[in-house]
Amino acid sequence: MAESATQYGEVIFKDVITLVRLKDTHTVILKDCSMTVEKGKLTVLVGPSGCGKTTVINLIAGYEVPYRGEVLMDGKPIAGPNWERLVVFQEMALFPWLTCYENVVFSPTVRGSMTKEEMHSEAMRLLELVGLKGFEEKYPMQLSGGMQRRAELARALINQPKIMLMDEPFRGLDAMTRELMQEYYLKLFEATKSTNLFVTSEIEEAIFLADKLLVMTNKPTKIKKAFDVDLPRPRDWKMATSPRYRELKAEILELLHEEAIKASVASGKADVDLAAAYERIREARK
Amino acid sequence: MATNAQTMTDTSDTLVSQTAVWKPVVKRSSWEQLKRKIFALATVRRISSVLIFLALWTVVVRFIPNFHQIPPPEQVFLAIFKIKVSVFFFEIFRSLYRVLSGFFLGILIGFPIGVAIGYSRILNYLLFPAVEMVRPIPPIAWIPLSVLFFVNIESQIIFLTFYGAFFPTVYNTVGGISGVDIRLPRAGMSFGVSKAQLLFRIILPAASPQIFAGLKIAIGITWLMVVAAEMIASKGGLGYLIWYNHTVMNYPFVFVGMGTIGVIGALCSVGVDRVGKRFTKWLDIF
Repeated sequence: MAESATQYGEVIFKDVITLVRLKDTHTVILKDCSMTVEKGKLTVLVGPSGCGKTTVINLIAGYEVPYRGEVLMDGKPIAGPNWERLVVFQEMALFPWLTCYENVVFSPTVRGSMTKEEMHSEAMRLLELVGLKGFEEKYPMQLSGGMQRRAELARALINQPKIMLMDEPFRGLDAMTRELMQEYYLKLFEATKSTNLFVTSEIEEAIFLADKLLVMTNKPTKIKKAFDVDLPRPRDWKMATSPRYRELKAEILELLHEEAIKASVASGKADVDLAAAYERIREARK
Repeated sequence: MATNAQTMTDTSDTLVSQTAVWKPVVKRSSWEQLKRKIFALATVRRISSVLIFLALWTVVVRFIPNFHQIPPPEQVFLAIFKIKVSVFFFEIFRSLYRVLSGFFLGILIGFPIGVAIGYSRILNYLLFPAVEMVRPIPPIAWIPLSVLFFVNIESQIIFLTFYGAFFPTVYNTVGGISGVDIRLPRAGMSFGVSKAQLLFRIILPAASPQIFAGLKIAIGITWLMVVAAEMIASKGGLGYLIWYNHTVMNYPFVFVGMGTIGVIGALCSVGVDRVGKRFTKWLDIF
């Protein structure tokens, strides 16, 4: 898995436009959005809330289709949902009526892609890998938030997807669990080196995880700037004190702050004076 | 992560052992245990609720002039012993047969229609407006038409009970299906389910709690309908038993009939609940 997975999963967006249709009008979500999710790397997408990050995930997963433009994976256009592109959702999306074990073997069972013995040994291996040994017979609602997220990881990993799509997966977890999950997820990625796209609105999380970091603008959304996060791997939380980390964080904060102000002006939550004041401060700083 | 799970089990262990330490170790005889149970405040309150009800009944019958024909509780109690057991049970089974035939017919026809309306947009447009038009008519208003539909009185009664069960089943099936979290079928589609598997392995299990809530309402309405229909049809059953004893002014028996309907209706409801719990084990896990 470690070798083969890195060969696949390159996703390219070419001038993608998506719309949300309302009654007699429509809102443009993505506008001329072009980007690349490189294979074998962990790409993180950060952006202000409500900017269409989930839309990007849905496009790659095949739940939505672009209005204009193309989304290609390994050179081929994406057609509908498929086990090659799996999503770990915000909040829990395990099947609550199945036990932890049944959730993990769900996909191989319905697809008939593995023999029973293979499936069982692989599921047990993955459950042990994500630290859920002994919880096979528990229902998802009996697990803690962190454990649910790990079960979901195992459920996706058993398919050996070409790309893992993480849609703010650690949102809603408490701070401690969240940090643990980030470190855990990073270890898992560093071990497999498969293609990952991770979406978040938290800058610290983004820098900590990313090989490549894409900052999104506010609606209509495109990629504002791409960063190569050249912090050494394997990483741990001591990294947060390194100068490079702080440099990156400052730069990204600046970009996002600008977008956040634009967003609040656009939605009428702040008056234009605030934006003007912000511009003045920036001028003064230069 | 394994450590996380470890600490969880650890704390629960210490909790258990602590309570074990703090629990006063006093051996009680079984008689004493029984006495404690009987004189527990909750039990005393429950019993006094019944006693107060009976006292109120007696007082109302004695002292309100218009109510003097109503039998006091002791007369009703004595009437139980005057029942001809064979006749009485025959009437019970007659009603029960009608209720259950109507109920299962309601499921047999209502459930597929509910699934069709909930699952297919085209069928939703084709069927739902008609259902919506007929639904507000109270089932009892169909009594005259049922006479036109069927010559056989037994069929008329079963039609009415069926009708009572039909709409709650359809409505809650539709509601349950349309209320399914979109992420569950989406995840299923990514995992490679076929159309049939999507319905049977994802949509229906996810909707099952509300479907069973609908069946519980349905069995209640079936009893309502069977009593109304039997009173009019004069073809036996508990409803007819009540009505007949009313016409011959044998009021204690009216009360016995009413009480029987109450008890058996409650038993039916509990039965449906039990079956529902068996299908939705994952819900009561705490």
